[in-house]
Amino acid sequence: MSHLETFLQQLINGLTIGMIYALIALGYTMVYGIIQLINFAHGEIFITGAFFGLAVFSLFPSLTQWNSVFTLVLMFCAAMAGCGLLGVVIERIAYRPLRKAPRLACLITAIGISFILQNVLMLIWGPVDKSFPAFFKHSALTVGALRITFMQGFIITTSLVMMIALRFFVTRTMLGKALRATSEDMTAARLMGINVDKVISVCFLIGSALGGAGGVMYGMYYNTISFHDGYLVGIKAFTAAVLGGIGNVPGAMLGGIALGMLEGLGAGYLSSAWKNVFAFLILVILLLCWPSGILRKSRNE
Amino acid sequence: MRQKVLIFVCCFFAVISLGAKKIGVIKIGCVGPITGDQASLGLDQLHALQIAVDETNAKGEIIPGYRLEIVSLDDQHNPSQAVAMAKRLASDPAVVAVVGHVNSSCSLAAGPIYQNARLTQISPSSSNPEISRKGYDTFFRTCATDDIQAPQAAYFAFTQLKARQVFIIDDKTTYGKGIADEFEKEILRLGATMFGHEGIMQGDKDFTPLLTKIKALNPEVIFFGGMYPEGALLVRQAKALGLSAEWLGGDGLYVPAFIVLAKEDAEGVYCTFIGADVRSLASAKHYIETYNARFGQERGPYSAYAYDASNIIIDAIRKTGKLDRQAILAQVKATKDFPGIVGVTNFDAKGDSTIGLIGVFRVKNQAFEYIGPAKK
Repeated sequence: MSHLETFLQQLINGLTIGMIYALIALGYTMVYGIIQLINFAHGEIFITGAFFGLAVFSLFPSLTQWNSVFTLVLMFCAAMAGCGLLGVVIERIAYRPLRKAPRLACLITAIGISFILQNVLMLIWGPVDKSFPAFFKHSALTVGALRITFMQGFIITTSLVMMIALRFFVTRTMLGKALRATSEDMTAARLMGINVDKVISVCFLIGSALGGAGGVMYGMYYNTISFHDGYLVGIKAFTAAVLGGIGNVPGAMLGGIALGMLEGLGAGYLSSAWKNVFAFLILVILLLCWPSGILRKSRNE
Repeated sequence: MRQKVLIFVCCFFAVISLGAKKIGVIKIGCVGPITGDQASLGLDQLHALQIAVDETNAKGEIIPGYRLEIVSLDDQHNPSQAVAMAKRLASDPAVVAVVGHVNSSCSLAAGPIYQNARLTQISPSSSNPEISRKGYDTFFRTCATDDIQAPQAAYFAFTQLKARQVFIIDDKTTYGKGIADEFEKEILRLGATMFGHEGIMQGDKDFTPLLTKIKALNPEVIFFGGMYPEGALLVRQAKALGLSAEWLGGDGLYVPAFIVLAKEDAEGVYCTFIGADVRSLASAKHYIETYNARFGQERGPYSAYAYDASNIIIDAIRKTGKLDRQAILAQVKATKDFPGIVGVTNFDAKGDSTIGLIGVFRVKNQAFEYIGPAKK
């Protein structure tokens, strides 16, 4: 394997996990953009998605032999619908009553919800690591010594499709317009006749659904999931969102990809023992250079 | 009238307290990770103690007026949690001894607490040699140590796997780094070349950056000092990247859950274990049947060692005949030729078991196949 091939392989690996970070980061950034809340429960929503996918798999074991594509679609549907609903319910019961409370109250509620979700997951699925079904085996596309597994290709394309769809939704649809208006100025949006509560619910629905899809891909990629996985991945996705400029949708995508790649290169070329340290070191350095993230325009508070 | 009632009530209670035979409890602590990614190890230890305690209680009172009880605590394989749990056990006067901890880092951290409390601790699986070198006279273990395991693993790699170019990975824990460092020393002494020795983060999921780097170096054998959750991810991701090196690990991989998590990629992975194949021992047959019947799941590797540790403690309590930590400690220390199910246990001056046999296993058809002792 030549140096160039190794480098490219590291980039592809980084891109794969970066795409998953990006999908989760979107949930953080959308919620922050609209109600200025860092939804710390989002990491747990993400891993709940993986467990929803696993539930589909274990509920219909006969299905998997019959048609794996159909199973896959069903897993994604279950995770996205389940997590979307979960996000909406959490917003309705935990955040909406605190809409007028100081922002810190909401933040602490979010941390509380995250603990509750984590423990509920442990109660339902047990404390040990769960084996996640493998798709595609290890079949891969090889170019020289470079290997792009089907799994990696699948994650990259599916995430891309979802991001493009989201971009289309936000910029081209009426509801997307309402979303942008609410994020710009909630009071003015309400005066214009926008149902702000509905818009916020939609925002939670989409963000959580994307997180759930990320969860299924995460499970498929690593083949093991456990109830506490949401924490670290959630924190990294949050880092990615901040990196790209929190509140900014393309920024979250870019931040996720950048974080995944930089983390991979750091671990591959410097030391894998300090992988997580690199992720946060990158955050500190980039924020020193661009205090409001890569893509966020400085705005008067 | 009021006086009569009072006298009657007094008499009533006096009769009750005389009549009811009061049964005291002697508690044995059990600490290990019973939640989290290594929960299966902690639960195995607990199950072993449960079997031993129930067998004892079924035979009647262990010493007149007392029966045994278990205090099960969770250290989440986190050293600071281990210290907190050790303090809880130390402050309960009914606790006379402890089975645990599972992880070396936890035993190391909790050691001083037990030492101060004069509380006997027997670990079935903390194999890092440092623990017994600290001089805690309350520490004992029924497993072999990594300074025996790792050199024998290196010997096996060099002679049987013909490893001349190796790469070493460890998980930076007391156990993982300890065993990897000892392996490195011995394999270099034997004359192999080391392409690198890198650490990974326990709890991390993505090791592809490191494995991509290893792929470019192309070693013959990769030794992993660490536990099965990371081990399973490593071998799976290595296969996905197309690495062809052989994998060798320590006892941290010799866990049924390793095969469950690594699936078909576990095939061909070698691992050493701090003991022989328990399944092949006639002395362990009854225990394994009891375990499977009661818990309906596959027994983990250390459960037989935990069962022996439990019985050494129970035996010492019975011989001491009283609820006295110091006396029980002296009794455990004096253990001589204890006929356990994994072999005849004696403790050396440091508290280490003198059995010291290292077995090698290989995953074949989704099960561990016993190859034989690492060094004949």
